[in-house]
Amino acid sequence: MIPLLQAQAPATSFWSEAFNSSELWTKLIITLVVGLVVMVGLLYAPIRARKPIIAFFTFISGAYWVLLYLWPKPIDRQPGEMPLNTVETVSFWLADSNNVVVSFTQILTGFLLGLGIFSLLKIHLTKITKGHKDAFFSIVLLVSMGLMIWFGYADWFDRLGERGAMLDNRDNWGFTQYGRDFLFEGLLQQMDAAMFSVIAFYILSAAYRAFRVRSVEATILLSAALLVLLSLMGAVSFVWDENVKSIANGNPFILNFQLTEVAQWIRNTFQTSSIRGIQFGVGLGALAMGLRLWLSLEKPGSGS
Amino acid sequence: MKGNLGEKLQSLPKPILYLILILATSIPLFFPTEVPNEPVESTKDFYATLMALPEGSKVLLMSDWTGSTRGESKGAFRSIFKILIRRKAKVAIYSAADPQAPRVAQDAINELNMERKRKNLPTFDRWNDWVNIGYFPNAEAAINGIANDLKGAFGGRKDFPPNSPPRDVFQSPVLQGVTKVEDFPLMLVITASKTSNFAVERVSGRTPLAFAVTGVMVPETQVFYQSKQIVGYCGGLKGVYDLEQLMESGVNFPDKATGKIKSDKLGTIEGFPDPDNKGQGTRYYPTLHYALALMIIMIILGNVGMFLAKRGDKS
Repeated sequence: MIPLLQAQAPATSFWSEAFNSSELWTKLIITLVVGLVVMVGLLYAPIRARKPIIAFFTFISGAYWVLLYLWPKPIDRQPGEMPLNTVETVSFWLADSNNVVVSFTQILTGFLLGLGIFSLLKIHLTKITKGHKDAFFSIVLLVSMGLMIWFGYADWFDRLGERGAMLDNRDNWGFTQYGRDFLFEGLLQQMDAAMFSVIAFYILSAAYRAFRVRSVEATILLSAALLVLLSLMGAVSFVWDENVKSIANGNPFILNFQLTEVAQWIRNTFQTSSIRGIQFGVGLGALAMGLRLWLSLEKPGSGS
Repeated sequence: MKGNLGEKLQSLPKPILYLILILATSIPLFFPTEVPNEPVESTKDFYATLMALPEGSKVLLMSDWTGSTRGESKGAFRSIFKILIRRKAKVAIYSAADPQAPRVAQDAINELNMERKRKNLPTFDRWNDWVNIGYFPNAEAAINGIANDLKGAFGGRKDFPPNSPPRDVFQSPVLQGVTKVEDFPLMLVITASKTSNFAVERVSGRTPLAFAVTGVMVPETQVFYQSKQIVGYCGGLKGVYDLEQLMESGVNFPDKATGKIKSDKLGTIEGFPDPDNKGQGTRYYPTLHYALALMIIMIILGNVGMFLAKRGDKS
C-alpha cells in the first residue's frame, strides 16, 4: 500500500505540520514550485508528447472512480485489519485512497477560481491599457475585486487571533469588519438578489406573450400550469378546498377535486414521471460523454 | 398601439407590464396580511423530521444558498435554525456550491443571534453549538468524501472557538464522537443548486435526508420525496410559509379534532406559538400571491386577445 494513500495515518502525513508553522509553509512553497515546474514543463513539451501524457493521466484518474464504483467494497472492516486476498487488497487500497483523491479533486477545482481571476485580469487589464471605450467598467470591476479581496483577507487575518470568535458579534467590529460587511452584505449580496429578481420581469413578459392556446397540447399544458399556479396561492386553494369539502360532505370521490389534491396528482403522476424520464436521458448522455472524455476521444483530449 | 381590441390586448407595452409587476409585488410588503393556507405534505414531513430529533442531536447541514435566492432560502434557513435551536441541536455546516455560501450562512446565524440577544434569549454559539466547516470547491467530490470517510473529508478544517485561535473542527462539541456520516441522525440541505442531487446519490440510505429548496427546484425534488429517498422538503416561499405556520400551530396539535393543521399520516407534533415564528415567509407570501395572480391574469388576457383578434380576422 502506498503510504501517501493511507488516509488513516494523519500523524505522519506530509500535511500534519502545525497550522501556520514555518515547516508547513516551507512544504507548501516547495509543492507549489514543483507543481509550477511540472506545468511549465508540460507547456514547453512538444504537442505530440503532451497529448499522450494528458490522455494517460485522464485515463488513470477516471479509472480510479470506475474501480471505486465497480470493485467490491470492504464489509465490516476493522481498524488495522489486513487484506486476505488480492480482491480485498485492491478494495482496501481504493477505500483508503478515496480521501486523498477527493482532496486532490478539491484542490484542482480550487485552481479554477485562480484561473477565473487570471482570466478576468488578462481581459480587463488589456482593455484598460489599450484604452477601450468600456475601460471604465473594467476599472470598476478590478477595483471592486481588489477591495473585496483586501477586506476579505484582512477580516480573515483578524479572525485568526484570539478575538476571532468575538468578531461574530457586531459590537466588536472594527474598520475592516465594517468594510467587509459593506462590500459583501451591503453591495454584493444586494446586487446578487437584484440580478436574480430581474428574472421575474422576463417570466411575466414571456408568459404573457408566449403562453397561447394554439393547439390541444398547448391547452393541456396551460390548464395544468394554471392549476398548479393556483394551488401555490394559499388563499385560492384554501377557499376552493373548503368549498369542495362542504359540497362533498365526506364523499371521497368529490374530495379528489380539492385544488391541492388535483395539483398533487399532476405533480405525482405527470411531473415526476416526466422528470424521471428526462433525468434518465441526461444520465445516459452524461455516461456517453464521460466515456468519451475518459478515453480521450473528445477533441480537447485527443487533439485530433 | 394600433389595431382592434384583440391585437391591443396581445401587445401591451413591456414598461406597463413591468410597472404593474413592481406595484403588485411591492405594495403588499407595506400591508402585511396573513394568508389562509394549508401546508403541503412534504413540508409537514420536513417539520415532523426536525421536531422528532432528540434533544442535543448532531445535524449535518449543507448550506448552498447566497443572496440571489435569499427571498426563499434565507427564510428557510432562519426557520430551520429556530427549530434546531429549540431542539438544542448541534449543527455542522459546510458549503459546496458557491464560495460566498459559508459567509452568507455565518452572517444569517449572527443576525439570528443578535435578535435573540436583544430578547435576552440564549444565543446559538459558534464552536459549541455550530461549526462552519467551510467551502469545498467540488460538490460531488466533497459529498463522496463525506460518505466514504467523514473524518478524512473534514480533517484539517478549522473553526473559531471562543477566545482562542482556530482549532480543528473535530475538537468542537459539535463533532465530538462523530466518525462517519451515519453518526448524524439527519442531513439537511438548503440549496438553490443541483448539490442536493449529489447528496441523494451518495448519502441516501446512509442517514435521513431533508431538503429546503427554491421554488424552481420543487419538481425535481418531488421525485426524490415520492421515491422516499428524502424524508421531507420545504419548497420555495410557499414551503417557508408552511414551515412558519407549522412552527406556530404544530400538526394535529393539541389534538386532531381541534388542531389547526391536520394530517392523517402524522401523529401529534407540537407547535411553539411565538410572534417570532412569523418571519420572511409570512412577509413575502402575499407578494407571491399577487405576482402569481398577475401572471394568471396576463396569460388569460393574452389568450382572450388572441381569440378576439382571430374572430376579427374571420369577420
